[in-house]
Amino acid sequence: MDITIRNLRRRFGKVEALRGVDLELSGGMFGLLGANGAGKTTLMRIIAGVLSPTSGQVLIGGHDMSTRQGRVAVQRRLGYLPQDLGLYPDLTAVEFLDYIGLLKGLDDRTARRRQIAELLEVVGLSDVANRKLKGFSGGMRRRVGIAQALLGDPALLVVDEPTAGLDPQERIRFRTLLATLPGRRTVLLSTHVVEDVAQTCRETAVMVDGRIVFTGAVSDLVRGAEGVTWEVVTSGPPPTVGEIVSAVSDAGGTRYRVVSVTPPDPAAIPVPPSLEDGYVAFMQGAAAGRSSA
Amino acid sequence: MIRYEFLMQIRKRSLWISMGLLAVITVLGQGDAGPRYLPDDASARVVASSWAFLWSLLLPIVAGMVLADRLVRDDRLGVSRLLESLPTTATTRVMGRFLGALAATATPIFLATVIAGGAESISREDPAVLLWTPIAFGLVLLPGLVFVGAFAMVVPLLLTAPLFRVLFVGYWFWGNMLGPSYMPSLAGTLLTPVGDYTASWLLGERALYAGADGWLQLLRPEPNGVTAALSVALLLGVGLIPLLVGSRVLARRATA
Amino acid sequence: MRAVLTDVSSPLLWRYESRRVGVAAQAAPAAALAVTLLLTAFTANAGGSRADIERLLLTGLEAVVPLAVAVATVTVITRDRCRELHLALPVRYVTTLGRRLATLVGAAAATAVIYSAALVATGWWSGPAAPASPLVWVPPLLALGGLAMILTVVGRSVVLASSGVAATWLAQQLYAASLASHAGSRPFFLFLTSRYGTGEGWLLNRFALTVTGLCLLAVAVTALSRPGAAPGEEEQ
Ligand SMILES: Nc1ncnc2c1ncn2[C@@H]1O[C@H](COP(=O)(O)OP(=O)(O)O)[C@@H](O)[C@H]1O
Ligand SMILES: [Mg+2]
Repeated sequence: MDITIRNLRRRFGKVEALRGVDLELSGGMFGLLGANGAGKTTLMRIIAGVLSPTSGQVLIGGHDMSTRQGRVAVQRRLGYLPQDLGLYPDLTAVEFLDYIGLLKGLDDRTARRRQIAELLEVVGLSDVANRKLKGFSGGMRRRVGIAQALLGDPALLVVDEPTAGLDPQERIRFRTLLATLPGRRTVLLSTHVVEDVAQTCRETAVMVDGRIVFTGAVSDLVRGAEGVTWEVVTSGPPPTVGEIVSAVSDAGGTRYRVVSVTPPDPAAIPVPPSLEDGYVAFMQGAAAGRSSA
Repeated sequence: MIRYEFLMQIRKRSLWISMGLLAVITVLGQGDAGPRYLPDDASARVVASSWAFLWSLLLPIVAGMVLADRLVRDDRLGVSRLLESLPTTATTRVMGRFLGALAATATPIFLATVIAGGAESISREDPAVLLWTPIAFGLVLLPGLVFVGAFAMVVPLLLTAPLFRVLFVGYWFWGNMLGPSYMPSLAGTLLTPVGDYTASWLLGERALYAGADGWLQLLRPEPNGVTAALSVALLLGVGLIPLLVGSRVLARRATA
Repeated sequence: MRAVLTDVSSPLLWRYESRRVGVAAQAAPAAALAVTLLLTAFTANAGGSRADIERLLLTGLEAVVPLAVAVATVTVITRDRCRELHLALPVRYVTTLGRRLATLVGAAAATAVIYSAALVATGWWSGPAAPASPLVWVPPLLALGGLAMILTVVGRSVVLASSGVAATWLAQQLYAASLASHAGSRPFFLFLTSRYGTGEGWLLNRFALTVTGLCLLAVAVTALSRPGAAPGEEEQ
């Protein structure tokens, strides 16, 4: 489903969470990157039809989200995984999915049950299908969340910070799961973890303070850090020029990865950038642009 | 813990709106017997305590509703799991939350008595009313707040919050305002949380039903200074029971 | 509301919604009635007059059941862990809430009917003629329930809504005499049957309470149907 957003604003009292967002996207997996508080959740909620904007226009698959008919038309083909997904602890995984399926209008009981069994298989929860949700770990809950979002084979999938709070192993498993989802659908993934996008998306947008400051291919974002990404190994104090992306200590000293326009150290060697470097370089550029503006 | 709980509750807009709403109902609903219509020559002590007594008819309801959610909500949001990892005992935690939330709900009530006391001392040109206000608050309102607050915090753990709220409202009517001549009730006993005894002693006349003949005659002595003190002691003492039981219940749930 | 009535789609869905409400809330009217019965037995034991006892029994129906439903309504509307998810589903959330409240009111109605029938059968009934017995509890239930809904939707707080309901209930009990004696307030007095019987102005009172309740309900439903209106708690 195509999404077109024009000059979208949303205000909560004095806080302006979205300050004029413009975005166009079509099929495939799209990553929305931004620090906490950038406004990602607010944008996702508006796209899911949960929140109404203060002003601006949102068209999804040609439907205007400001009308009731438009919202319902979109919501019929939407799967949404909210940032803070609560589950009903007294239901089993199957019952929960059955309930949501009924609300999504999957009236044929046999077909619904079959779909639920398939989805539980996809998210790897078949073993615990009949256990109460209250005993589920964070990762398992999130997988139930993805399963409910996928019910009814939605054309648009909106997942908000799906990997937050997961342990590394669960995070990797969840990412792999997400990467298999697109197919014919549009998947919109929001996260503050650069690696999530690096592993799953080809297209991305970067949000800062309620605005989208970059849209384009992930590779373009990476390319922005070419020539400004350095590695320095030193046992002395950390480099003071540029921004340190990572630091790894070993016997020979600490290996710093630095994003900086000028070499942070005479001994620094340029290295090929990752998406994380690209993100840091981009944010540096944005900050410089803002302070000079 | 007390401080944190206090700050968390006192910042809630709903607490202030609820108190404001009930205060308005109280002031508008006071009959001809209300403190607004006291004679001009009423003593400062009488004016201050009849306002305190008036506030104690409805405002403690809000305190009950606030406290009724505390432990249940912690349970639900999994905060209790988090708190259990702290090196404090269940009793300290229950007491901390109790005192914090109680202080927070008592603050707007205290403010109401101060506002009423201030207005009266200006209109009556008698600053002594303002002096009597905190005394009346401490004697008439506070013991009852401790008493119902303690029950409100713990009983929902056993009964569920909605059922507790229903019974609490019924109880408030039955245990405070339903004349003991009509049916056996706790109204007019030493265990009446509206502060019937202390108010009667301060006013020099029966505030509502204090000491009126009825069920549990043992708990219905003549209202005077001594029985008023006894009433305060009983309300505070009996209020301790649910707190102790509550921390025991929580401690057991934690290990279960 | 129409959607709730016409869309009786799946009994399974109703069962899920009923479980969301929970047995505790659905049984609250019955439990509160049981406490009332206990007190009544107590009064009888203490030598209460027959009129007093009959009045108490009727109070259970006219005052306690509506209070229980109103308080449970607040809980049902504010307590939903999956609200965010529901708002993104094609079913209107207000429809889902309507189904849940319907199971609550259904349970209360069953309780009230059984209770009334038992009173009639045992000869303790002092209300209007048996076929009109729902007029004892339906109007105050609608009025108090509607008030609870409005307060919840507008105030977004359990404390605010339940305090408001409680204060209304208590104030009406406390000022019963003055409310019932003025022509202007008498139609809106919740407990006319149990306090003053089915005499003058009773039908008007029942009618006015019903209309008030339906109006409050209609406003609450409209407010809930607004896009982005989430009847959550403002603060966690
Ligand atoms: N319901 C709300 N009420 C008030 N402020 C909100 C609400 N939702 C978000 N905000 C504010 O809007 C800003 C953006 O928040 P959010 O969209 O959650 O960002 P992100 O998801 O990128 O972390 C933050 O400053 C946040 O405090
Ligand atoms: Mg977010």
